[in-house]
Amino acid sequence: MIITDEQKTKLIKNNLVYMENIRVKFGRVVALDGVDFTVGYNEVVGLLGDNGAGKTTLIKALNGYNQISSGNIYFDGRHADFSSPKDARSAGIETAYQDLALVNIMSIARNFFMGRELRKGFAFFKFLDKRQMNKIASRSLKEVGLKNIRAMHETVNFLSGGERQAIAIGRANYFGAKLLILDEPTAALSVTETEWVLQLVKEAKEGGLSVILISHNAYEVYDVSDRFVVLQHGKTYANIKKEDTNPEELIEVIAGRLEK
Amino acid sequence: MENKRKLQTFFDRILRIKEIGSLSGLIVVMIIFTLLSDKFMTWDNFIGIFTTTSELGIIAVGVAMLMIAGEFDLSVGSVFAVAPMLGALLSNSGVPIFIAFLIGLVFAGSIGFLNGIIVMKAKITSFIATLGTMMLFRGLLLAVSGGFPIDFLGANTDFLNALGGKLFLGIRASGIWFIAATILFSVILNNTKFGNHAFAVGGNAGTAKAVGVNVFKVKMINFVICSVMAGLAGFTMFGRFHSIDPTAGMQLELEAIAAAVIGGTLLTGGYGSIVGAFMGAFLIGVLRSGLILAGAPSYWYQGFIGVFLVLSVILNTKIRKVVAG
Repeated sequence: MIITDEQKTKLIKNNLVYMENIRVKFGRVVALDGVDFTVGYNEVVGLLGDNGAGKTTLIKALNGYNQISSGNIYFDGRHADFSSPKDARSAGIETAYQDLALVNIMSIARNFFMGRELRKGFAFFKFLDKRQMNKIASRSLKEVGLKNIRAMHETVNFLSGGERQAIAIGRANYFGAKLLILDEPTAALSVTETEWVLQLVKEAKEGGLSVILISHNAYEVYDVSDRFVVLQHGKTYANIKKEDTNPEELIEVIAGRLEK
Repeated sequence: MENKRKLQTFFDRILRIKEIGSLSGLIVVMIIFTLLSDKFMTWDNFIGIFTTTSELGIIAVGVAMLMIAGEFDLSVGSVFAVAPMLGALLSNSGVPIFIAFLIGLVFAGSIGFLNGIIVMKAKITSFIATLGTMMLFRGLLLAVSGGFPIDFLGANTDFLNALGGKLFLGIRASGIWFIAATILFSVILNNTKFGNHAFAVGGNAGTAKAVGVNVFKVKMINFVICSVMAGLAGFTMFGRFHSIDPTAGMQLELEAIAAAVIGGTLLTGGYGSIVGAFMGAFLIGVLRSGLILAGAPSYWYQGFIGVFLVLSVILNTKIRKVVAG
């Protein structure tokens, strides 16, 4: 598809995320081969694909964890090739990875504020404001329904999968993120916890956030998503609005048996 | 019911003190040695223990910082001798001792920098990288000195005394350095952003990177801290003897790691305590002195530390499972 400059400017303006022709290479392996991807304002996008399709690579390119080999990324109307996750976070992208979300042996409060620690003091004598961090973390986590925690100095090791996701979402809420990326949030969660996390995604959207929901389970993410993007072998395979499809069909698309 | 819960919270609080394992070990060992020898609980003996402990302990503080950040340094024993050796050679050739001291520390720091660069850029484990630099610099020491000790030839020994000489009541300057280093790095580790990041990169480097922590920088700084502390420890010994032996500090790296681990620091990083390392080093000193006073043959010393190391790690692991999962 060829688009004019004028159309492109409009797309950048109307979308929170606009990624065009993204290529990512790891040595000789081409992980992403010219992917186009957009996320609208206040939109929940289900990013689907089989294992190894390039879903996580795509969001790691967006949030500065990995560098892209070529292509362009625009975030919130501005050109944004984030050179580190720190830049992406300060621009308003909060990511909860499948395996990299939290440091298990550290406390909930320290995880909540990691990389954005609150400090008090002056010049060289700036010390962590632990009391304030505990207070805010506790309050923000209650808001996302994390109630069973005894104290903020508990380590993350004791938390369930759903509670871990809730920390990431609570963190996004508190720090005023514009985009929340959840990487396989419901993998290995119990039924009730899956419902809870998906409910939090809905609430995040109601609160004005955009969400990228990575999954390979079309059934689970169908309800909360507005649109689905399917990747296959590092390429965009399908881009379907919710009203134009159903979960059964999506599974066929993810498996590559159906083209849309 | 209410009382039972209160008791539970109380125990929980106690167990959460990261140094509880090493503290209880220290108390038990001190009671045993006090019972075995009436010379153990004396001021002179205490000060004697503290002097040897300080030199090991200053290293252990740096080693604990680095281990918490998820890396190892086996070269500290060599750096312990290299830094004062360089200082001695420079001051003997006319450089003011204070300047020679600073150059020695900078050189120690650059060995740490080298260790860090090898580990982070060549992506090999720090165990191997620092085993290599340990041997390299020990070889350099022996080659330069010809295997003989180098004496301080200057007339003015004030500065050396400030590093490792006797101050008052038999307390040596190295003890003050040790306490100061423990307080300084304890505060840095527990109460600053850098300390939080050190825990993070040791706990899970991938997560740390994902939330925007500069893993490379944090680890590099800790490599340098570790080496500089080893160099400083070497200088305190130089200040005590006014002479430096090229074999000084051999096997000290293992004792420093033992001290850190006895103090509750996790070998794989992400968890640990500087005050714990302080107590671990002190415990090793107490074991050494106590065994001698109890009349045990001196060869037993290492064996006992070995047994004690394993026991304390078992205890620390059990406690950690309860409080940190």
